[in-house]
Amino acid sequence: MGSTIVEKILARHADQDYVQAGEVVVADIDYAMVTDTRAVNTIKMIDRFGEQPLQFAQKTSLVLDHYSPPPNQEAADIHTAMRTFAKSRGTGLYDIGDGICHQVLPEGGHLTCGDLVVGTDTHSVTYGAFNAFGTGIEGTDVSAVMMSSKLWFRVPETVRIDLQGELAAGVWAKDITLAMLGRFGAEGLNYHAIEYVGDAVRAMAIDDRMTLCNHAAELGAKAAILEPDEKTFAWLRAHGAKTPEPTFADANAQYTDRLIIDVTNLAPQLARKHEVDDIVGVDQIDKQKIQFALIGTCTNGRLDDIRQAASILKGRKLADGVRMIVTPASRQIYLAALREGLIEILSTAGASFDSAGCGTCVGITNRLVPGDGDTVISTANRNFKGRLTNKNADIWLGSAATVAASALTGYITDPRTVEGGTWRSAA
Amino acid sequence: MNEHIAVTGLAFLLGDNVNTDLNCSNKYLPGKDVDYVAQHAFEQLSPGIAANINTAGGGVIVAGKHFGINSSREQAAHVLKKMGVRAIVAQSFGRQFFRNAINNGLPVFECDTTGIEEGQSLTLDLSAGTLVCDSHITQRSHPLPSEILAILSMGGLIPFLQKYPDWKFA
Repeated sequence: MGSTIVEKILARHADQDYVQAGEVVVADIDYAMVTDTRAVNTIKMIDRFGEQPLQFAQKTSLVLDHYSPPPNQEAADIHTAMRTFAKSRGTGLYDIGDGICHQVLPEGGHLTCGDLVVGTDTHSVTYGAFNAFGTGIEGTDVSAVMMSSKLWFRVPETVRIDLQGELAAGVWAKDITLAMLGRFGAEGLNYHAIEYVGDAVRAMAIDDRMTLCNHAAELGAKAAILEPDEKTFAWLRAHGAKTPEPTFADANAQYTDRLIIDVTNLAPQLARKHEVDDIVGVDQIDKQKIQFALIGTCTNGRLDDIRQAASILKGRKLADGVRMIVTPASRQIYLAALREGLIEILSTAGASFDSAGCGTCVGITNRLVPGDGDTVISTANRNFKGRLTNKNADIWLGSAATVAASALTGYITDPRTVEGGTWRSAA
Repeated sequence: MNEHIAVTGLAFLLGDNVNTDLNCSNKYLPGKDVDYVAQHAFEQLSPGIAANINTAGGGVIVAGKHFGINSSREQAAHVLKKMGVRAIVAQSFGRQFFRNAINNGLPVFECDTTGIEEGQSLTLDLSAGTLVCDSHITQRSHPLPSEILAILSMGGLIPFLQKYPDWKFA
């Protein structure tokens, strides 16, 4: 019997010829990441083991992204503890403003095709865009990895989703993944791995592929993984990753389901307020006013997202009564946007830039709080009531194209109806 | 090491989609400690359940689909242990809850829970993957592999690694 991509990766890391969905394996980890939300407990657990050298320290990064910059002294003290720990125990460290964990790990060359990577954040599934098995874990898990370089896994069942056809200009991976949430429901693929294949995936630039895998977290997926191609290898080479071990599924692999979805006629999609799986096409929304537009997060804070927004807002102004904040996913993206003149274009249009980090996604930085009665349109991956700290504001989710088009008109707007809304990445 | 872990206790029922962040952690009770949460856990879903488990001297929670879904707080496992919960039996588990329970030494058992009634006496054999209920229902689950049984018998992943730092325990 053949194997899926995740079965092959787990088998290789467990030093077994073959593993099967449902079995539990102990596997060698290639890289681990700890964010500031889980660092305190992790450091405590490791300190309890005493001062012996941490053999896995060189394959671990601590990332100061959720509380970046720190909104209060408590968060600042967590960051101080992380810097001290990183220095004394020899782990890597990405400081405030360097970027979101899921962006800085691949940018830093820390992972490649065929790797097994864990991080203390649900959206660690993003690494699947590079044909790596990435998955979210908790404090005890990552402490165990840092102390032993191994972790136990139940081998997940896989669903294979073949995305056929060609996305229309102005329609993005974000829209595909919102459509998936409409189809399966939040947590509808709990525990499963997803293999996304097909022409529509191959046509995507790396930025869009990262969105596709990242957003699988809302489906409850343990991993979302793509086949690698020349684009993958070129990107990894450019970022100094080690030699890839490209991993493909066997033709006779066992899947719990195989789906074929044609994306050719897909319209831009939206998650309506409060529910990440309350999905509608943008064409079904009539005159929904917005006051606050956000572009950023590990889902859609990449260069192509900022380019798309700039293509819509170039030489124009935000609609009256609308404010907009852009949070690049990393400092590298911020600098690239600066060099391309995108920051000037968007700032001239009336948008503001915030330092790279998780701020756009969740209210813990306390700098992006909507007012009572505000409607927010955001590229984030979650829109639970009160996510941006104010329970009397609504959050809708859409692509960077939809967010920028809506900021331009003041209403939720199909990007294909505004000039520049059908900009396409050079891929 | 050939672990044989059996758990017995009375059944305490909860339904589908129990969110342990919401019902079994201090995420929405800032500043409250594990002891406090353990006295009030699942109150909205089954009034008096914490007190009843306490009176019975411990018990087994029996739930439907997706126990712990959408919730990642590791504290839930600490709270459940504090409540005297000896194991959770459910039709399925949220992914991170499943990991957290095992990593903190709390047995989890995945099987069909239909027909099990409140207060019935349960016997779980985690190594054999069997559950026997006093109404003579017998259910089977995948037997837990030896690594997981070893982690559970040591009381969690960290104590396990303190004893077996290279994961070699056979």
